[in-house]
Order: sequence, then C-alpha cells, then structure tokens
Amino acid sequence: MDITLLHRPGNTAARLTLAAGETCTAEAGAMIAMSGNMDIETTTHQKGKGGLLKAMKRMLGGESLFLNHFTPKDGEGDLILGTTLAGDMMTFNLDNESLIVQGGSFLCCEHGIDVDMGWQGFKSIVSGESIFWLNLKGKGQVVLSSFGAIYPVEVDGEYIVDTGHIVAFNETLDFTITKAGSSWLHSFLGGEGLVCKFRGKGTVWCQSHNPVSFGWALSSGLKARKA
Amino acid sequence: MQAEIKGGSAFSYVEIDLEPGESVITESDAMSSMDARLELKAILNGGFWRALLRKFLGGETFFVSRFSNQTDSKARLTIVQPTPGEVKCEELNGGSLFLQPGAFLACEETVSLGLQWAGLVSWIAGEGLFRLVVSGQGKVWYGAYGALLTREIDGEFIVDSGHLVAYDPTIKLRLQLAAGLFSSFFGGEGLVTRVQGKGRVVIQTRSIGGLTSWVNPKLY
Amino acid sequence: MTALFNIRMHHSLDAAQISEAAVHFAKLFKIEPEKAEQLLHKAPVVIRKGASEEMAGKIGTALQKLGITISLEPVADAAATAAAPAPVAAPEATPEAEQSAGHAVNDGGTVVSPPDHPGYPFRIEGRPDFSFLTVMVPGEQMLKVEASAMATMDTNVEMKTKMRGGLSRLLTGESIFINEFHARGGAGEVGVAPGAPGDMGHVYLDGNVIYLQNSAFVACGPKVEIETKWQGLTKGFFSGESLFLIRAVGQGDLWFNTYGAMIEIDVDGEYVVDTGNIVAFTEGLEYKVSKVGGYKSLFFSGEGFVCRFSGKGKVWIQTRGVQALLTWVHPFRPVKKRG
Repeated sequence: MDITLLHRPGNTAARLTLAAGETCTAEAGAMIAMSGNMDIETTTHQKGKGGLLKAMKRMLGGESLFLNHFTPKDGEGDLILGTTLAGDMMTFNLDNESLIVQGGSFLCCEHGIDVDMGWQGFKSIVSGESIFWLNLKGKGQVVLSSFGAIYPVEVDGEYIVDTGHIVAFNETLDFTITKAGSSWLHSFLGGEGLVCKFRGKGTVWCQSHNPVSFGWALSSGLKARKA
Repeated sequence: MQAEIKGGSAFSYVEIDLEPGESVITESDAMSSMDARLELKAILNGGFWRALLRKFLGGETFFVSRFSNQTDSKARLTIVQPTPGEVKCEELNGGSLFLQPGAFLACEETVSLGLQWAGLVSWIAGEGLFRLVVSGQGKVWYGAYGALLTREIDGEFIVDSGHLVAYDPTIKLRLQLAAGLFSSFFGGEGLVTRVQGKGRVVIQTRSIGGLTSWVNPKLY
Repeated sequence: MTALFNIRMHHSLDAAQISEAAVHFAKLFKIEPEKAEQLLHKAPVVIRKGASEEMAGKIGTALQKLGITISLEPVADAAATAAAPAPVAAPEATPEAEQSAGHAVNDGGTVVSPPDHPGYPFRIEGRPDFSFLTVMVPGEQMLKVEASAMATMDTNVEMKTKMRGGLSRLLTGESIFINEFHARGGAGEVGVAPGAPGDMGHVYLDGNVIYLQNSAFVACGPKVEIETKWQGLTKGFFSGESLFLIRAVGQGDLWFNTYGAMIEIDVDGEYVVDTGNIVAFTEGLEYKVSKVGGYKSLFFSGEGFVCRFSGKGKVWIQTRGVQALLTWVHPFRPVKKRG
C-alpha cells in the first residue's frame, strides 16, 4: 500500500495506491473517490470476523464503527480518503506493537492490522465527550487523522493533555483523568475541567484543536433542531 | 519566555516555553496540553467589576487563566483558540491595539487588558458596546476563525461586519448600510463597517456567521 | 503590481550534509525535519511560490549559510497556467512541489493573476484552507458575487442586488439573489469570503461550459451566465448536495470555491466519486449515480450513493464533504422550543 498525504495540514486527504490483491481497511464514510475497479465490502469488525448484531449493539452504546474494505479487482487501484472535519493526517508504521487511538482519529490501515474496538481503558471517565478508543495491533501502516495540526509530545515524567486533544498514544504510557494545575476549583474556573495526565515514557500525539470547542462556537448560529 | 506559532494559517497554535518564575495569561479553556508541573490559576482580570463588564459587554469570558512555572526548569504550554484559524503575535511597545470580542488569546503579564466604550454603532453591528484594548509592554496573541490579512488603510475602506479582528487606535469605525435598503436586506450584506484613518486593519478571511449561514440551508 | 517569483533551490550536498542542513531548513520553513530532508533530496525543486523579491532575498541569504543556492523564476508562468483558458484552471501549478514541501508552500500559495490576464486582475490569499478572493474591478465595470460573500470593498464600489436564476433557486435553499458590485469613477477593490472553509479555483471562460456543484459559485464577470440546472430526478435525488447543478457559460472570469482542499483528477475510462465531494467537471463526461457495493454497503458503508464518471475529461473533487459536517454539527444545534 502506497500512501501520499495531499494538502497537508489543513484539509488533508490520503491517496492510496493498492497493488493487485491488497486490501485497505478504512473508517466508514471516508471514501472521497476511487478508481472504477475497486471492490468494497462493509463489515463491522476485521474482515471475516464479527457479527452484524454484535456490532449494532456496540453502535447503540456509541462505541462502534463500520469498516469498509477496499480491494482492487484486476490490477492496481487508486483510493482517496478524507475525514469529516478539516485537519492533518499522519502515517504510522506499526511493528508488532500496539497503539491506542481515539475513535474519531482512525482513518485506515493495512489489512494485517487488528482493529480492536473493545479497549476499555478510559471507560471509567465521565468526560462528557463521547469518545471511544481503538487498540491497533500488528504489523503494517496506519493513517490517523486529526482536527487541526498534529504534534507529538515525548512524555518522560508527567504531561497533561486536554481530553479533546488526544489523537493517539503508546500503550506503554499510564494515564489518569485529573485536574490541570494543583487546584480543582481553578481548573474548572479556568475552563479546563477534566484533563488527562500521562505518566511514564512514551509518545502522545495531540491534535492542536478541540472539535467540541469548535462545535460550541458554532452552536448559537445554527438552525434549531427538533428535540 | 520563548513562543512560536505553529500549524500554519489554518490551524495556528502557540507553543510557549516558560522559564522558571515566568507566567502567561490566556483566555479561558485555551490550554491544549502542558507540562504537568505548571500551575494554573483562574483569575478575574482587573477585578470583579471589570471582569463582569468584559463578560457581558466585551464578549469575553469572566475568568482568564494564569499559567505559571514555579519549578526550576523550563516547562512547555501549548494553547489554541476554540475555532480553526490563524493566530498572530503583536509586540506592544507602549502602544495599544483594539481587539474585537473573542479575538484575544493570550498575553504576557506586563500587558494590560482594558475595556473601552465602543459606542452604539458597534453594538448595533453585533460587536458589543465595549471593545477590548490591549496596551503596555510585551507580547499579545490574538486570532480568529479564518486566515488573517493585514490591510494598511490610508483614507477609507469598507469591511463587512464580522470580518474585523483588530485595528490600530488611529482607525475610526462608522457603521453604514451595504447599499440601499432593498439590497442591504436581500443581498445578505446588511450593515458594513466603514473604517477611516491611517493605520492597520486586520481582517479574517472567514467568519463563523458565514459558516453557519452556509450550513443552515442544508439542515432540515 | 510587484513582481513575484517562484523560488527553486539547488545544492550539491552529500547525504550526510543533507541531514545536517535539513535540521536548519526545517526550522527555517517550520516543517518536520524528515520532510525537509525529503525535500532536500528532491532538489532542484520549487520551495516557495509567489514570493516577493524581498522575501526571496531573505530566503536566499538564509539558505546560503546551509550551502544551498536559489534561483528565481518569474511567477507569471505559473500563474498563467493557473489561469489557462482550457478548461478549468487547477489552483496548483505544480502539485508535486506542493505536496512535498508541505507547510512551506501551502502558506505562501497566493495566486496572483498574470499581467496579460484577459479578465479582471485578482489575487487569492489564505489558500488552501481559508481562501480569500480580491478582485480589482476596473472603472465603470461590474462583478457578480454570491449573496452575503462580500467581506471588504473600496468606498467607491456600489452594490446592487438582483434576482438570480429564476424560481428554481428557491428550491435549492441557496439565496435567490446575487449582488452586483459596480466600480464608480475609477477602479475599485472587492474582497470576497465564501461561507465554506476551503480552496478557490479560477477559470477564464471563452465560450466553453463548466458544470459546478450547486453551492460552489463565488463570483464572475458580467458576461458569464450562471444557470441553475435540474439534474434529472434519479441523478439529482441521490447526489447528496442538491437536485441542481450550476452551468456556467459565456466569456470572462469565473471563481468557484470548495469545501476542503481541491484535487484534480484526469478521467480516462471510469472513476468513482462520492456524490458529496464533486466540485466541478468538464462538459463531455458522462456520469451516473449508483450504489457503491452490495446492499449491506449501501446502508452501512457510510458511502451510500456515488457518482460513476466515464469518458475522457477532468473532475475536480473536494477533500471534505458537506453531509458529514451536517451530521457532525447536529448535537451542537440549539433545540427548538415547543409551542
């Protein structure tokens, strides 16, 4: 799978060239355009695994996604993927390791990677932001997307990231949901509320912007909806 | 203090490295990530009544955040505005700059944030009765949704309401209809601002209002 | 108008020197070091487009210290390609330079009309994410602009509002009005900011026809006709954006915008595009709307219906789709009060 990221960092699209027989697994709804010879199969889990009903149940719990598997028929195929919001993308080469990814940031991966939707590490948080997490395991290339630019933070000790700004992090890191600074009161009055504190040694990839903050900035100008 | 604006015009964010003992004032909820050793304090800028005025009449938040480094080594803070768009840095040297509501992102402690009566004209244009004036010494970071363009004005120029971000104190604002009554109403432009004088005007190339009115007809 | 240049860099560094230079280069252009290294390996390559002479001087001095020389190419050539009459001008003159240089080129990618441009002089700033169009309307001439899109103008410019495109516009949810900006007593500048965040394309029409997605129109010269065209029920109904297309024909400038960045695709044979990502296409391409895969894919793939283009021509697509945004904003919408 050959990956080119177009138009970074503002409205990035990923252009993938698939050799005959190669399969790319992408988040549902991400396809912008593709060559006419591309076959698409929709599943709820890894290709060939998992039942529809189970996935529906997960979806109701707000923590599942459908996956599309693209495979070119006879010969090479071309596929262009994009995301809902504006922002950057990054490629990541997994080498038999594990990466925790915020659900909305997963764009696509090579077939050899296991997309595990059952990761429960943050289950205990009540952050008010409906985020679910994926655990990507295996060997191959992954493309992640973000709202805004992506910047890596090498954690060695302790580092705080606002909950809406996490794209992915190494599984080696430990984390707790806590306050910014030493006072709960000031963390809330300062508008930060709950933040994620990472501990240990590893990398956290952050997105520069918070989609929820942007949503609320738009809110008052949007047409009202029925209940 | 060392600071750098990254992310281009589409997604500007500011990386600030605070030396021991230094601090920076930011808009509420501006922190994206930070060294866990930094101390955060929510403060009322300029006392209770000024803060109240800022919130209700200046369109800013009641509290601002003060991040300070009380450790003995450098610590990083990354801040961002709530919407995508460009952030600029202005080094004040005893001068001042007017900011439209919501444009303020952060400043050094030596900069003072004040409110000034902007007049009924500004209020009718939906920009609030007061405007934010930053003055003193030091760096100010401000921004808006969209890319920022600086225009040197010498004479008069018309800017659509909602696209003005910042301007020099030498610039005066006047409100007027975009055209005749019919056109102003149906042409979607309504009121526009006539800027007069000699100085800089910073405009944003997109507006939240423009975005929502593009989205709204498509919503059912 | 000040002269603008594309800056091309040259060097004769070996691999080790390149990795050393890349660190400084990355800092200078605010890009990732790996990217800088890739870029250096590609030299001679254009590293910045549309730079002023002053800027070129600064870059030249800075790069000299790293053992890199630059050459300047007058931008007229690049901009001329961008404004070429046939058929729609791609905003990027050299797409591969843009990709490889990442941030460096994206931030400086102002498009300026060349001196021999047959239409109105213009420039597009803020590309590619928040493009902003500034047109210099010659004295006693007129520019047609999408309603509500004007952001700035000179005081000698007069605005008039006209009905547009007949009653079918009413059904499209877009404004049924269009604004005309007349420059009185001399040339006047009009700045245009569309609602959607994205890039902007320009084409000089010379009797040919361009089809635009319904909300892509930004501005045009007085002799360009903008017609709202019914796509036909089956095509229109499933094509996401709207039942209508815009057919632009005539003589003069036409500017259109995208939501997201723009990608140009040469179709020769078949190409599939999500219905919400089409910006424009050339006349002569056939298209039909079909479902993307099996019925399971129809409902769960998130793709639904797609446009299958066939024949030979060009399609311009945008890297973001409106439908996804509409779904995303839903939870943020205020709730209507009952009664």
